[in-house]
Amino acid sequence: MANIMNSLYNMRLLDDLARQETVIHKLHPLMKLLTTVSYLTVVVSFGRYEIGGLLPLLLYPVIVFTLAELPVKPILLRILLVSPFIIGIGILNPFFDHQVYLLGGREISRGWITFLSILLKSGLTVTAALLLIATTGMDRLAGALRMLKIPRIFVLQLLLTYRYISVLMEEVARTLRAYSLRAPRQKGVHRSAWGSLAGQLILRTFDRAQRIYEAMCLRGFTGEYHTGGFKEIRVWDLSYFIGWVFFFAVARMYNIPMLIGSLITGVIR
Amino acid sequence: MSHHKLEVKDLHYSYPDGHKAVKGMSFCIHHGESVGIIGANGAGKSTLLMLLMGVLFPDQGEVCVGDVHVTKKTLPMIRQSLGMVFQDPDDQLFMNTVYDDVAFGPRNYKLDEKEVEKRVFNALELVGILHLKDRAPFKLSGGEKRAAAIASVLSMQPDILIMDEPTAALDPKSRRKVMQLLTSFKHTKVITSHDLDMIFEMCDRTIVIKNGEIAADGVTSEILVNAELMDDCGLEIPLSLQNCPVCGTEKV
Repeated sequence: MANIMNSLYNMRLLDDLARQETVIHKLHPLMKLLTTVSYLTVVVSFGRYEIGGLLPLLLYPVIVFTLAELPVKPILLRILLVSPFIIGIGILNPFFDHQVYLLGGREISRGWITFLSILLKSGLTVTAALLLIATTGMDRLAGALRMLKIPRIFVLQLLLTYRYISVLMEEVARTLRAYSLRAPRQKGVHRSAWGSLAGQLILRTFDRAQRIYEAMCLRGFTGEYHTGGFKEIRVWDLSYFIGWVFFFAVARMYNIPMLIGSLITGVIR
Repeated sequence: MSHHKLEVKDLHYSYPDGHKAVKGMSFCIHHGESVGIIGANGAGKSTLLMLLMGVLFPDQGEVCVGDVHVTKKTLPMIRQSLGMVFQDPDDQLFMNTVYDDVAFGPRNYKLDEKEVEKRVFNALELVGILHLKDRAPFKLSGGEKRAAAIASVLSMQPDILIMDEPTAALDPKSRRKVMQLLTSFKHTKVITSHDLDMIFEMCDRTIVIKNGEIAADGVTSEILVNAELMDDCGLEIPLSLQNCPVCGTEKV
C-alpha cells in the first residue's frame, strides 16, 4: 500500500521536473515535440542488424540530460519498468535466428544481435519520450499536439487518462488501507475479496471521476482543454530543431562509428 | 444589481431510483446576502446545490439567477456568475499546478493569457497562497487545498459564491482562516454546512432543510437558538450557544 502511494508521488516526479527553468525547458514545446518525433522515426528506421549506426544517437539523450539538469537515476528506473516487455518480445530471437555473425573474430548468433538492437532501440525511444515529458510537462505537450492539429478528442483523452491514473491510484490506496487494517495477518488481498474489492473500486472511481468532471463543467469546460498560450517560436527554438534533425539525418545516412574507425585506423597506418 | 439575485421556485427533484430528494422548495436570495443552508445528512442540501448550479435539472419548478432561468442553453452564462466550492477540494483541483488550476476557469472563457495571469495572481493573493502557485495541488495541506479551491472559483469573478461544507475536515486554525477569508468577501454567499457555529458567525440568514423540504427560513440568530426546531430537523443548537459543559451555566 505504501508502495502505491510512493508510486503516486513518483509518477508526479516528471511533472515536477518539467517545472525547472533550464535551456531545454525554455524551448518551445512544439520544437521539442517535433525533435522527439524525428528522433523516434530515425531510431526505428534502422535495420535490425545495424547496432553500430544507432550508437551516435545516444548523444541526443546524453545532451538533453545534461542541459536539462535532469536526475539520471529516476528516469533510468522508469525505463527499466518497460524492460520486461521488451525482453519478452526479443528474448526468443536468439533461438530462432541461428545464422552466425562474426564479431571481433568471435562467432555469435544473429539472434543476439537483433535482441540487442531491440533493447537499444526501445531504450532510446522510451528515454526520448520520458525526456520530452520531463522537460515539457503533459499540459504544454498537449498544447503542442493541438498546434499540430491533432484532434482535440485524442489530446483530451491523453490528458484525462494521465490525470485519472492518480485518481484511480488514490482510490486503490484508500481501499487497500481499509482492507489491510481489518485483515492484519494477511499478505495482500485474499482471493475471496478480489471481486468485491475490484467492483467497489470501479464504482468509487466512477463516482470520483464524475465529481471531477462536474467541477470542470462548473468552471466552463466544454470539451477543449486550454493550457494557456505559447510564446512565439524563436530563432533559437527553430535552430535547436533544425540542428538535431540535421544530426539525425547524418547519423542515418552515414555510419559515423565506422567512419571514425576508418579515419583512426587510416591515420595509424 | 438584479443579476446577483438567486431565486428558486417550487423546486422538485427525484433521483432515477425514485428517491424524492427535493420537494417543493422556494426561496429568494438577494444581492450581498450570506445564507446558510443546514439540515441533517440526506436532507437534500447537496442535491439543492447541484440544482442551483445546473448540474442536475429539476423535474418541476425553476431556478433563476438574476432574471435568467437555469437551462442547458444558459449554463455557460449562469456558471460565470455562480462559483461553487466543492466539499472535497481534491475533486476540484485536477491540474498539475495550483496556478494552472486557478487559471482553468478563466482559460475556458477564452480570456487573454495576460488577463488570466492577472486574475490568477489576484485570486491567489486574496486567499493568501500566492507562494504556492507552482506547487502540485495534491501535495498541499488540507487548509491550503481549500484555499486553492476557493481561489480557483474566485478567478472566475463570480457574483454568487456557493460553498459545500467549506470548513469540513479542517483543523481549528485553518477553519478560522477560511472563515475570515469568506467573511472578507462581499459576494452573495450560499453556504451549506454541519458546522453550525460557523453558520452562526457568518450567515445572517439560515434555511433549514428537512426531508427535501424547507422547514424554516429566517434570521440565523433566531433559527439556530430554536432547540425544538433544531432537534426536529436532526440538528443541535451550535456548541457556542450550548450550556457550559463544566459549570452548566446557561447561555441561551
